[in-house]
Amino acid sequence: MKELLEKLCLLDGISGDEGAVRDFIISQIKDHSQITVDPLGNVIAFCKGKKTPKNKVLVSAHMDEVGMIVTYINSDGTLKVECVGGVDPAVVYAKRVRVGKNKVTGVIASTAVHNLSKEEKGKTPGFDKLTVDIGCESREQAQKLVSLGDSVCFDSRFLTFGDGFVKCKAIDDRAGCAIMIKLIQDTPEYDTYFTFVVQEEVGLRGATAASYTVDADYAFVLEATTAADIPSAQADKKVCCVGDGPVVSFMDRHTIYDKEMFDLAFETAKENHIPCQTKTMIAGGNDAGAIHVSRCGVRTTAISLPCRYLHSPSCVIKLSDMQDAYRLTKLILDRTYNR
Amino acid sequence: MGFDLKQALSELCAAPGVSGAEKTAQQTAQQLLSQFAKTETDSFGNVYGYVGEQTHGRQKLMLEAHIDEIGYIVTYITDEGFLKISGCGGIDERALAAQQVTVYGKETIKGVITSIPPHLSEKNNSYSINDVFVDIGLSKQQAEKLVSPGDRVLVENELVSLGGSLVTSKALDDRSGVAAVLLALDMLKDKQTVYDICVLFAAQEETGERGAKTGAFRLAPDLAIAVDVSFAKTHFESEEDCAKMGQGAMIGIAPVLSSEFSQGLIQTAERCGLPYQLEIMSGTTGTDADKISITAGGVRTVIVSVPLKYMHTPVEVIDLGDVEKTAQLIAEFAQGR
Repeated sequence: MKELLEKLCLLDGISGDEGAVRDFIISQIKDHSQITVDPLGNVIAFCKGKKTPKNKVLVSAHMDEVGMIVTYINSDGTLKVECVGGVDPAVVYAKRVRVGKNKVTGVIASTAVHNLSKEEKGKTPGFDKLTVDIGCESREQAQKLVSLGDSVCFDSRFLTFGDGFVKCKAIDDRAGCAIMIKLIQDTPEYDTYFTFVVQEEVGLRGATAASYTVDADYAFVLEATTAADIPSAQADKKVCCVGDGPVVSFMDRHTIYDKEMFDLAFETAKENHIPCQTKTMIAGGNDAGAIHVSRCGVRTTAISLPCRYLHSPSCVIKLSDMQDAYRLTKLILDRTYNR
Repeated sequence: MGFDLKQALSELCAAPGVSGAEKTAQQTAQQLLSQFAKTETDSFGNVYGYVGEQTHGRQKLMLEAHIDEIGYIVTYITDEGFLKISGCGGIDERALAAQQVTVYGKETIKGVITSIPPHLSEKNNSYSINDVFVDIGLSKQQAEKLVSPGDRVLVENELVSLGGSLVTSKALDDRSGVAAVLLALDMLKDKQTVYDICVLFAAQEETGERGAKTGAFRLAPDLAIAVDVSFAKTHFESEEDCAKMGQGAMIGIAPVLSSEFSQGLIQTAERCGLPYQLEIMSGTTGTDADKISITAGGVRTVIVSVPLKYMHTPVEVIDLGDVEKTAQLIAEFAQGR
């Protein structure tokens, strides 16, 4: 799964521009499922199992990642950008990026630290005080390479480090996509729907349409969620810990999760000796927010990977958590088809 | 084979050399210098070069650039196995969050500088060096086997091209200066110079111009040209305070510099039709020139700078054309033009 994750993470696909990710995913699952691409660009894959279950079950992950979009080309050839999804300007400052279809290399920076005014010192500039520099001298020159509305993606290397950790951009939620591809390639025992959705980061929009189309009884959202387990965080503010297994939430900012399914997840984990944890803060949110209120309601569970430095060019997860999330998802699915 | 500027600069920038731990950068620079000069090094981290025969009775001109770069130093390993770091030189703390870093411990290991995701913070974050850790994905016990306080940490961006002749990399401050000196020596090959030429690639500029102090004492030059980088205008900066990219070397004028020497360089540029820009400073220069000029009984010193954007970040930007123009100015001056 690591190799698959690496390929997925290195593809560029900010919200609304997921084409490259979609094409790759389709290439991986087309021999194992019936695929439809809906008007928004969601991939809806139906996987025929050996048996037909009592319940219609959906597994979903999002293809898009956070990034930036070009909003203006300055007269000196630098680009103004705005964030797409929740991006703290602190994590883009002094980073390399790729701009547009031509993947033009640029750097994000601002006034040199030596030349800051007293008021500016010690503060990270917001997007209004950052530019992307692609090495052009004029607007005319830049316009030959870049257009307004072009996507701006983090240029981040995929790195394996420490005791089984990996780092890259876009782990949120290519990790979910990787697990789903693996589940599809394994061919589930029962008929299952899988949706790879667009535009999660700008308001759970792809999942809203896709879950309407699938019309499931039960849904499982595979995600990456905030782990703040760094030494400066108090125990209750760590949310969840990398290496302690998949995260099953009882509540976040968009969803109060189905209590029976929440309990089922922990029972399943316990019986199979899979580490599993819950979030210690009501924070974040994911496509479950759209799916669980789709049509007349869908019983929804989120199984997430604890991920440090979410929405930055350097997201960090532990591979053992990914393996455990995959195993746990498979086992819970088996207990859901006919419950 | 001619001197390949971009290739040399790429090698120089890639070599780790945080202040006080310049060994790899020192070796890379010495290797490149050895094709033009007899070289030696010292325990301080400096590289010295003597070009051709050093003749008695001629004035000795020292070409100088610093070999160290901005970086971080490990100060503590936490119970969780994360590293606390401090700055080596005047770091830009805005550039800390979410960087991939290399820790030069017993082995070279990789890690990430911590940040807090937007889901858990009210507004945009600003980080100081005291707020962050290096996450190396190891327990304290594992970490202690590989990392010790004092190890250096770097954000390692290799050199890549942007538009035109612009390049971005870490450490362009001041490997651009080192490359300009090397290119000047290449231009001077088989040429008559009016000075005996020696070279100093100095350690520890970023922490207080210390290598230049000991190095200039050792070489005892009559004249010195310090080659560094200085501010090129970026989008939010004023034209009045900065040079322009691509418009040639910045010749420094400052109370602590030899005004006669500054004027001499201006005349060389005028006579040879080389583009140049003036950089006026009202006291010291914040470069090795400050220390060189008061070495031993005093050295007539100037500073020549390559315009650079986003100084002290891992995404510094320069124009290779400016390095060439800087080298040309030095080479013409050395020939007495």
